[in-house]
Amino acid sequence: MNNRLKVLRAERDWSQADLADRLGVSRQTVNALETGRYDPSLPLAFRIARVFEQPIEAIFIAE
Amino acid sequence: MDPASRPKRPFGLGTYILLIVGVTIVGGVAGAARGLLGDHPGMIGLAVTAGVMSAAMAIAFAACIWWWRGIDEAAREAHKWAWWWGGSGGMAVGAVLLLTLTFGDDASTSAEVGFSAPDLVAGGMWTILLFQLAGYSIAWAVWWLKHR
Repeated sequence: MNNRLKVLRAERDWSQADLADRLGVSRQTVNALETGRYDPSLPLAFRIARVFEQPIEAIFIAE
Repeated sequence: MDPASRPKRPFGLGTYILLIVGVTIVGGVAGAARGLLGDHPGMIGLAVTAGVMSAAMAIAFAACIWWWRGIDEAAREAHKWAWWWGGSGGMAVGAVLLLTLTFGDDASTSAEVGFSAPDLVAGGMWTILLFQLAGYSIAWAVWWLKHR
């Protein structure tokens, strides 16, 4: 699954560590999410949507 | 950090150092207690050994629960994948070795060189465990490399 995490994070000038801290996950997990190699659980997807104040479908794009 | 997403336990390097020190102390105390009190002959020694080991394992298991509650979902997924594929793969390789030794032509020599039945059981258990741990470690590293 593709996503816009890296773009959204860059727009806010956050580092991966900043985003990880906001989401309560490790920086390695944020990296795995951004590269699209790890798909988040539904609860984490909702947390991501809340942090970026956008709907889930605006962040994650099905391939 | 969002309070809702904060791990349900203390975290950070200091916490991990404290955990390692604590586990080392528990292991040391369990080993010393078993060494000092478990050598009594008969049921007393057996009961002391079983009691001390049960307590140590209960503490270790509680520490595992506490640690598991604090890692995030990707880290959990890595450990679950490593446990299944790495642990199972390691066990399969170890089982080939053990079964070959068990059913090979030299199987009868173990008694001749002084290995008792408990020695052999413990040796088999540790061998499988070490192979599982090796497979687990490799699989865990592979999971993270694949998800970088």
